[in-house]
Amino acid sequence: MKFNIGDLPVLFPYPRIYPEQYAYMCDLKKTLDAGGHCVLEMPSGTGKTVSLLSLIVAYQQYYPEHRKLIYCSRTMSEIEKALAELKALMKYREEQLGHKEEFRGLGLTSRKNLCLHPTVKREKSGAVVDARCRSLTAGFVKEKKSKGEDVPVCIYHDNLDLLEPHNLIPNGVWTLDGLMKYGEEHKQCPYFTSRRMMSFCNVIIYSYHYLLDPKIAERVSKELSKDCIVVFDEAHNIDNVCIESLSTDITEDSLRKATRGAQNLERKITEMKETDADKLKNEYAKLVEGLRDAEEAREEDAFMSNPALPDDLLKEAVPGNIRRAEHFVAFLKRFVEYLKTRMKVRQVISETPPSFLAHLKEYTFIEKKPLRFCAERLTSLVRTLELTNIEDYQALQEVATFATLVATYENGFLLILEPYESDTAEVPNPVLHFTCLDAAIAIKPVFDRFSSVIITSGTISPLEMYPKMLGFTTVVQESYSMTLARRSFLPMIVTRGSDQVAISSGFQVRNEPSVVRNYGNLLTEFSKLTPDGMVVFFPSYLYMESIISMWQGMGILDEVWKYKLILVETPDAQETSLALETYRTACCNGRGAILLCVARGKVSEGIDFDHQYGRTVLCIGVPFQYTESRILKARLEFLRETYRIRENDFLSFDAMRHAAQCLGRVLRGKDDYGIMVLADRRFLKKRNQLPKWIAQAILESEVNLSTDMAVGSAKKFLRGMAQPFKPKDQEGISTWSLRDLEKFKEKQEEESIRQLREGMADAVIGGRVTTEGNGHPPEEDAHEFDDDELEASMMELNDD
Amino acid sequence: MFRNGVSKLVDNPSDDICPVCKSNRYLNPSLQFLINPECYHKMCSTCVDRIFTSGPAPCPVPHCGKTLRKRGFHKAFFADLAIEREVDVRKRVGAVFNRRHDEFETLLDWNNYLEEVEGLVFDIVEGDVKTRTIAEEKLRMYKEANKGVIEENTRVGLEEGELERRREKAEREAARQRRLAVLREEEEEKADMLKTRQSVLDRLANEDVDANTIAAQAQKIILKKTSARRALKDIPIQSNGSAMDAGLTIRGLKKKEAPAPEKPYDPFGGLDLTPARYVLQDHYENEWLGGAKKDTRHMAGGYSLQEYYARTMFEAFSGLGVFIEDEVTDRNQQPQAVVAPAVETAAAVQAAVSKTKFERNMELDDVF
Ligand code: SF4
Ligand SMILES: [Zn+2]
Ligand SMILES: [Zn+2]
Repeated sequence: MKFNIGDLPVLFPYPRIYPEQYAYMCDLKKTLDAGGHCVLEMPSGTGKTVSLLSLIVAYQQYYPEHRKLIYCSRTMSEIEKALAELKALMKYREEQLGHKEEFRGLGLTSRKNLCLHPTVKREKSGAVVDARCRSLTAGFVKEKKSKGEDVPVCIYHDNLDLLEPHNLIPNGVWTLDGLMKYGEEHKQCPYFTSRRMMSFCNVIIYSYHYLLDPKIAERVSKELSKDCIVVFDEAHNIDNVCIESLSTDITEDSLRKATRGAQNLERKITEMKETDADKLKNEYAKLVEGLRDAEEAREEDAFMSNPALPDDLLKEAVPGNIRRAEHFVAFLKRFVEYLKTRMKVRQVISETPPSFLAHLKEYTFIEKKPLRFCAERLTSLVRTLELTNIEDYQALQEVATFATLVATYENGFLLILEPYESDTAEVPNPVLHFTCLDAAIAIKPVFDRFSSVIITSGTISPLEMYPKMLGFTTVVQESYSMTLARRSFLPMIVTRGSDQVAISSGFQVRNEPSVVRNYGNLLTEFSKLTPDGMVVFFPSYLYMESIISMWQGMGILDEVWKYKLILVETPDAQETSLALETYRTACCNGRGAILLCVARGKVSEGIDFDHQYGRTVLCIGVPFQYTESRILKARLEFLRETYRIRENDFLSFDAMRHAAQCLGRVLRGKDDYGIMVLADRRFLKKRNQLPKWIAQAILESEVNLSTDMAVGSAKKFLRGMAQPFKPKDQEGISTWSLRDLEKFKEKQEEESIRQLREGMADAVIGGRVTTEGNGHPPEEDAHEFDDDELEASMMELNDD
Repeated sequence: MFRNGVSKLVDNPSDDICPVCKSNRYLNPSLQFLINPECYHKMCSTCVDRIFTSGPAPCPVPHCGKTLRKRGFHKAFFADLAIEREVDVRKRVGAVFNRRHDEFETLLDWNNYLEEVEGLVFDIVEGDVKTRTIAEEKLRMYKEANKGVIEENTRVGLEEGELERRREKAEREAARQRRLAVLREEEEEKADMLKTRQSVLDRLANEDVDANTIAAQAQKIILKKTSARRALKDIPIQSNGSAMDAGLTIRGLKKKEAPAPEKPYDPFGGLDLTPARYVLQDHYENEWLGGAKKDTRHMAGGYSLQEYYARTMFEAFSGLGVFIEDEVTDRNQQPQAVVAPAVETAAAVQAAVSKTKFERNMELDDVF
C-alpha cells in the first residue's frame, strides 16, 4: 500500500498496516528530519524491520541527500532476515513504481561465512580463516607474485582487481546466499566484494561489531559519511556488546604464546637484516616521521585489527625507544615477562590503569607513551617483515592491544587478576581481566560521527536507561503499545503455590523443597493445559541443573513426562540445536514438548517460538546476573559513581530486560497467541519495568496469583483463543487497510486543528492571566507540590 | 589443570630445579631461588646459605667463578633472568639519562634522544665485551659531564612521584568516602521505610480511615523522601570531587611558570596612535603663528602650540589612505572577515584574523 507521511510518500509492501507500525514510521521520520538519535521500543512480532526499512528506503529515494542506511543486527539469521525483507520491499517498489530503482543493498558477515577459497573455507575457527585469508591477500604477497615469485594467492581476491572498483557487483539487493552464488559464478570473493562496495551501496546490513568494535570499525566502517542513518536493531543488549568489544582476558597460556611470537619476530628481524636490510631501514625512516604516514599505504587488511587510537596520537611520531625493530621486540618481551610475573600472585587484585602503569614503570621502566603505540607499531613491523603465518602472532597482538588500551584510557577500565577459577579451586589458573566498565566509550565514536542513530528493539525498557548508560541524547524516545482485536496473550505473575507458600528463586529460598515443589507443580499444571510447545526459562544453568535433579527426586518430571516430551538446553551449541530440532518436531506432532532453557542462553536471545512452537512461556525466577562476579561488581560501582545508576536499579533493569526477552519469544505476530507466566514473588514489584506493551496487558487481577488461580485464568484464556478468529475481525482495529489509515489521518488532523484552536484560545486566556501576574498552570503545580509537602510533614508529625 | 603444571615443566624444566644441588620444587615446595646481580646465576636459598655464609666465595656454577657475597643475593622479579638483568641495567642507565621531555626543543629531538639511550642500553645488555665497555665508558662520561642536570631531574622526578602518590591516595580516600556515604544512605532508607511502615500500621490500627488512602499516602511519602535524599546526596559527593580537584591543582601549579607581570592599563586597548604618514615636528615655521609663540596672553592659559600642531596635522591627514570602494568590495566578498583599516594596529589585525580562522575551524569540524 502507498501512503504519505508528511510530504514523504511511503511504499509499504503489504496491503495492511498495523497502527503501531504507522506510529513507528512517523517517529522515525521525525528523528531523521530532526537529525538526532532515538530509542524506540516496538512490540515483538509487529513487523519492526519491515516498517523501518520501508520508511528509510522511501526517505532515501525521495530526498535528494540519499542518505545511506547502515543497519546493524546481532546474529547471522537476523541479518539474513533483514536482507530478505529488503529484497521483498525493493521488488514491491519496482512493481509499484514501474521501474527499477538505482539501488544496491548488501550484507556483510565474517570471512568464515563468506569465503570461497577451497581450503581456507574449511577452517573451523573464524580467526584462522581471517589469518589465512590475510596471508593470501596481503599487499606484499601480490607484489611478490607480480615479480614472478611463486607465492600462494587467492584467485577469488585477485579477480576483483580486474573489475571496475565501484561496480564489482550489479545493482540490486544481495542476500548472503545470493552473494555467494554470484561470487562462485564470477569467481570473485564475496567478502571483499561486499566490503569494497560498502561506499557504493544504499543499504548495508551487517553485525554490530563492524561499527562498535573499534578494532574492526576502524578498517571496515571508516569511509562511511556523517549523514548515514545508523540503526541498531535488537539493541537491548547493546551496552554489553560495547563493553565486550573493549575487554580482553589474558591467560598464562596466551602469554606463553606471546613470548613465542616475540621470539619468532626476533628471528625474522635478524634474518631480514641479513637479506633485506633496506626494508627495515625504510620502515624506520617512515616511523621517524609519524605513524599516519607509515600507514598511508594501509591496505584493507594487512594484519590484525587495532584498537582505536586517538587521532592526535596517530599523527605523532613513534617514540624513539621503540622505533627500531629490535628495540621494539625487546620492549614487548619485557612487557610480556612483566605480565607473567604479575600472574604469579595468588590473591585477587583489582587495580586501575594508572596504578598498573605506575607499578609497571617501577619494575620495567616502561613508560606510558610507547605503550600506547604498541599495537600500531606491531602492525607496522609485521607488515615490514612480510609475515604470512599471521595466526602465530595472534597472542602477541592481543597483548599489544591490551597495552595500547591500558595506556590510552584512564577511566572506565579496570584490571582484575583472578588467580583461581573459582573460590574453591586449588590449582591456580590465573586470568587477567582487562575489563571495560563504561559502555559509552565504545559507542561514543558512533554517536559522534553519525547524525542519526536509531536504537530499537522489542524490549528496551526502561527507555531512559540507555541514553544514560551510553551517554547520548535523544530527540524521540518512544515505547509503543500493541493494538489487539482480542487479548491474544496472557501475561501473569504467579507469586505463590497452591499451598500459598511464596515462590522465589531468591538465594535463601531457592533450594527449599517447598519452593522447588511449587515450581514443579506449576510446571506440571501448565504442561497439562498447554497445547503443543512450552518453553521454561531458568535464571542460570547451575540453578536449572539443581532444580531438575530435585524434581527428578520428587517424581515431578515423571508426571510431566506423561504430557510432554522434555528437552534441555546445554552450554554446548550443537547439543542445543539438536534439542531444538527435536522440540520443533515434537510440537508439530502429538502432545508437544517442553524446552527447559536458560534466560541468558542462546535460546532466549535468538530463537523464536511462534505459534505451536510456544504457547506458554514460563519464567522461573528473576533472571538476575551472578552478582558475585568481580567484573560485575566493578561495573556496578562504576555505574553508580559515574552515571548515578544504583546497583539495585541496574541489576533489576538487567534482569527484567532478560525476562522480557524470554516472554517476547512466544509472541511473534498478531495472529499468534500465548501465555506468559512470571513465577516469582519479586516480579510483583518489578512489573513496571516490563516493556509497555507487556505491562499494559497485565490485568490488575492477574499480578498476584497462586498456581491454581493462574491455571484457572489460563484455561479460560485458552478457551477464548479456541474460538474462531478471522482476519476480518482485526480490521480497522489492529490492522489498517489504506482506508483506515486515511481515516485515522483525517481524525488526527481534525484533532490537531482542534488542539491548535484550543491552544490559541488558551493562549488568549493565559495571556490575560499572565498580565495579571501569575500564569495559571504553574500556580496549580506549585499548589499541588505544597499539598504533598504538607502531607509529608503531617505524616512525620504522626510518626513521633 | 594438572596439564598446566606439566606443560610448564616441559616448557622449561630448569625452572624448578636448583642447578647447584639439584633439589626439585616438587619434592620441596618451599624451595626458593635467589640470584646475584654479579652474574645472574640462579641457586636455591639453601645453597646460598651453605656456600656464602662464611664470607665471599666463587660462584658454584661451572665456568663462572665470579666472587659473590651473600649480601648481594635477592629474589628475582622476573622468571626470565635475561630480562632481570636488562631491567637492572635500565635502572642504572635510567638514573643517569634522566632527561625530561620538556627539556627538548622538538619532539624529534626528544625521540632521537630516547633512541640513543635505548641503543646504549642495548649495547650494554646484548653487546659483546668490546661494545659493552665502550657503552659503559659513555655512560660514565655523561654522568661526569652532567652531574647538575642529573641531580635536578632526579629531584623533580621524585617530587612528581610523591605528588602522584598523594593524588592517588586522595582519590582512593574519596572513593571510600563515597562508598560509605552510599551505604549509610541505604541504611537510612531502610530504617525510614520501616518507620513509615510502622506508622502506617499504627494508623490503620487506630484511625478510622480507608486503608487504601493511608497506604497511598505512605507510598507517596516514601517516594518523596527517597528523591529528597537523592538530591541531598548529590551535594557532598560533588564537594568531594572538588576536594580531589584541589589535589590536582597543586600538581598543576608546580609546572606552571610564574605569571607574566601585569602590564599597565592601556585605555586605547593597544591601539597605536603614532601617526604613520607624517612625523610631527617640534616646531613649524609659520609667520601667522610667529606672534602667538611669544604672546603671553596665549601662554598664560597653559596653551601649547604643540597641541595645535598635532591637531592640525591630524586633521590634514585623516582619511588619507582609506579607500571606501575597496573596503566595500572587501566587505561584500567576505562578510565575516573584519576589514582592517589602514590605521588599525597589528595586534587588532591578528585578533581579527585568528577569529576568522577559528570560525573556519568550526565549520570544518562540522563537516566531519
Ligand atoms: S579472499 Fe575471499 S575467498 Fe579468498 S581466502 Fe579470503 S575470504 Fe576466502
Ligand atoms: Zn641448591
Ligand atoms: Zn655465576
